[in-house]
Amino acid sequence: MATIIVTGIAGSLARLTALELLRRGDEVIGVDYRPKPDTFPKGILFYRASYNKTRIADVFRRHKPDAVLHLGRVATRRVDGNKRFDLNVVGSAKIQELSVQHRVKTLIVLSTYHIYGAHPHNHVPILEDEPVRALQTVPELSDAIQLDTQAVTWTYRHRAMRTVVLRPSNVIGPHINNTTCRYLRLPRIPYLLGFNPMWQFIHETDLLRAVLLVLDSEDRWGAFNVTGRGALPVVEALKLAGAPLVPLLPGFIKPYLRLNPGARPALPGYLIDFLKYPVMVSDQRFREGFGFEPRVGVREAVRSSVTRMPMDAVL
Amino acid sequence: MSFDDYVTRYFPVDAEVSSAFDRLPDKLNEHGYDPWGFQPNIAKHLYSAIGRPLYNYFRPTVTGLQNLPPGRCLLIGNHSGQLPLDGMVVAVACLLHGEPPRMVRAMAERYFPRVPFLNEMFARGGVVVGDPINCRNLLEAGNAILVFPEGARGCGKPIQQRYQLTRFGRGFMRLALQTDTPVVPFSVIGAEESIPSVANFKPLAQMLGAPYVPIPLHLPLLGPLSYLPLPTKFYLDFGAPMTFSGLYDDEDELIDEKVAVVRDRIQAMIDEGLTRRPSIF
Repeated sequence: MATIIVTGIAGSLARLTALELLRRGDEVIGVDYRPKPDTFPKGILFYRASYNKTRIADVFRRHKPDAVLHLGRVATRRVDGNKRFDLNVVGSAKIQELSVQHRVKTLIVLSTYHIYGAHPHNHVPILEDEPVRALQTVPELSDAIQLDTQAVTWTYRHRAMRTVVLRPSNVIGPHINNTTCRYLRLPRIPYLLGFNPMWQFIHETDLLRAVLLVLDSEDRWGAFNVTGRGALPVVEALKLAGAPLVPLLPGFIKPYLRLNPGARPALPGYLIDFLKYPVMVSDQRFREGFGFEPRVGVREAVRSSVTRMPMDAVL
Repeated sequence: MSFDDYVTRYFPVDAEVSSAFDRLPDKLNEHGYDPWGFQPNIAKHLYSAIGRPLYNYFRPTVTGLQNLPPGRCLLIGNHSGQLPLDGMVVAVACLLHGEPPRMVRAMAERYFPRVPFLNEMFARGGVVVGDPINCRNLLEAGNAILVFPEGARGCGKPIQQRYQLTRFGRGFMRLALQTDTPVVPFSVIGAEESIPSVANFKPLAQMLGAPYVPIPLHLPLLGPLSYLPLPTKFYLDFGAPMTFSGLYDDEDELIDEKVAVVRDRIQAMIDEGLTRRPSIF
């Protein structure tokens, strides 16, 4: 039995992971800067703490974790500017420092493939060591990039602790409520006419398995892309969602969002480039390193994500 | 309806093109796409509607296709004719007359992903962004890649310089050395005269951000119609594969020596082809 701290526990992915750990007999301590959600798994201790404040240190001191799953990257749409920087960059650095201080064996950091950036010059597929381009076009992703790079630096600097950074492609699933899922769940889905880049997705169950595989492995460390089975042009994937599609010329997307405030959280500025240019990652290193084989294909993954399932059913 | 739906619905498929695509080895994901977005079921419509008519228009005589080795190879040839139509004709020739049919992957200018619709058409048809890493990944996946090392220099040269190769880039040779890929030299005769340009209209090219704007010889006679290619007859000849060894990251001068071997071979093939050509049309 291990003691594991899971950040971002108010989010669905962290709660699903925590639940699985609980089932295996681990002791799980959940941390989030947000309040405790109404549906919360029994048997998991909850702390409300900003990752950059002293309270998080208390959690480490009190529980002496064996592993830390830092799944709590704050999404661009949730929190603005300084606070997001404090949580994602300053907070993550603090979690890393505390992990070293308390001799944590494994630190898993959930990053995102968005950091590679959607750029017309992108080659296919993108490997983990290649330059990240997101900053060239989207400054909003600067905190996500910094979170990732400082975690990657940690993998080399503190070899006594095993740090694994996961860069998943679009995470979707019936319980997930991120930007991509919101996009798939829009009653009318806008897309860019004349552009149709390939998109990769990873289903929540596959990502959960990936996180557990990393946790259970002993000697692998570093940054890894992780994605589900196959890829589809984005418009083909959107068709699977079943809602009517709204083709828009590139110049019309911003006016459309101004007129449809409901669609705004599903289509933040940085995502527009991802509707234009492909960002295809190679997950070969992760598959080979951890023996990971994704189970859910794009079609099933998208179809299963269209209707949001409440967490109650799982808990 | 997406662009892909439009193409599959309204672009009829040529039986010969379709059967060639059906014989290609399957390197696709479970949804029928490769990582670059190539989709044979859509590509066959595009090849039928655009590639095949162009091929018929230029009526190429194709020789030496048996020289294409199985597995990865770099097809290196002369570029001409103001528009990259020579590349399309070569690709259709390899597809229809390769034994087995070969899907040639072309590397395109880096601006193409920015152009609406064209980016979709290129991606589904197997064209990829001209990036060395893309090329290396495609070669390692066993593809045949079409490269014109002269680039726009060759394509946009005026008629006075016809069939004289311009400077070759070194990228293809570094990739051939790095991935141990055979180089198949080929010559295209006939494309030079399809749009005979006498000069490059540089100020307009600069204004448009284009590498060149040709001034066709018959512009005073036909006006804008002179930009339509003439129905010249093409002769495509594929030479024996050439293999090179050495460091891929060697000094430029040493790479240049190897590039010159390929360039000289292609120039010789062009010169020989010209002597055998009965007429331009």
